[in-house]
Amino acid sequence: MSEVTKEVQEQEKTQVERTRSTNIYTPDVDILEKDDSIIVFADIPGASESSVNITLEKDVLSIYAKVEPEVPEKHQLLRAEYGVGDYQRSFTLSNEVDREKIEAMVKNGVLRLVLPKAKEAQTRKIIVQAG
Amino acid sequence: MAIKTDTMQKSKPGTQMEARREWEIPFATLQREMNRLFDSFFGGVNLSPWAPLERGVAEAFTPRVNVSETDKEIKVSAELPGLDENDIDVSLTRDALTIKGEKKEEKEEKGTSHCRVERSYGSFTRSIPLPVDVNTDKVEATFKKGVLYVTLPKTVNAIEKTKKIQVKSK
Repeated sequence: MSEVTKEVQEQEKTQVERTRSTNIYTPDVDILEKDDSIIVFADIPGASESSVNITLEKDVLSIYAKVEPEVPEKHQLLRAEYGVGDYQRSFTLSNEVDREKIEAMVKNGVLRLVLPKAKEAQTRKIIVQAG
Repeated sequence: MAIKTDTMQKSKPGTQMEARREWEIPFATLQREMNRLFDSFFGGVNLSPWAPLERGVAEAFTPRVNVSETDKEIKVSAELPGLDENDIDVSLTRDALTIKGEKKEEKEEKGTSHCRVERSYGSFTRSIPLPVDVNTDKVEATFKKGVLYVTLPKTVNAIEKTKKIQVKSK
């Protein structure tokens, strides 16, 4: 398994009943790792910065994005390749992530999450000197 | 391991619905499990003669499109997350609406490694056939929150042409 499984691990889905009747979709994500941080991109078309809710509970980082349907109800669907609904996905963070400094931004339907690594976890390069 | 493998599954253009509808269709999950079983049985080798082609298809970005209508207009919406309104080219011919654009990968500086890639990138062209004549001068397109909305009013002629046919009993 790659290193990421250690750092950002996806939560196993638990069977929890929902009270709202909207559909919930799992957004596609890309995860990039840099020396000092981990960056998560999630495609959440239809959601804006004000409708995204990010919570951190213990080690679980949850993303919930609410989407308001744009097409009025009186319209009759001719072709439906995507369903309109909310997005939800959770990740388990390792101790390496500095929880105080997590940043999130939404632009054009893409959520960008920056999870900085704690100082101790950052890879340090040790210069080998000639003796 | 809690890693989900289903999102890595190849999505052919015709089967895109499944990925999003898995909450609603219990069999989609079962089918995916079966596919995975077969894949592991054949050592992950895709036996389809189109395998080399499919790989290319799976990686290219194709927006998902919804089309709806009322008596007076047609509404087309397309999911284009990560694109800017300037990156999108919308054109109209007599009987089709064409959406062109390119989804670019976020540029990150050196020293970045990809841990997980589920989103797809690349240029795309989609033509959506229009069922009726539309008033080309009054077509409006807006882009917000990563979704493109195009409203196409039907021509007066097209609205009038819809004729209700009486069903008679004998």
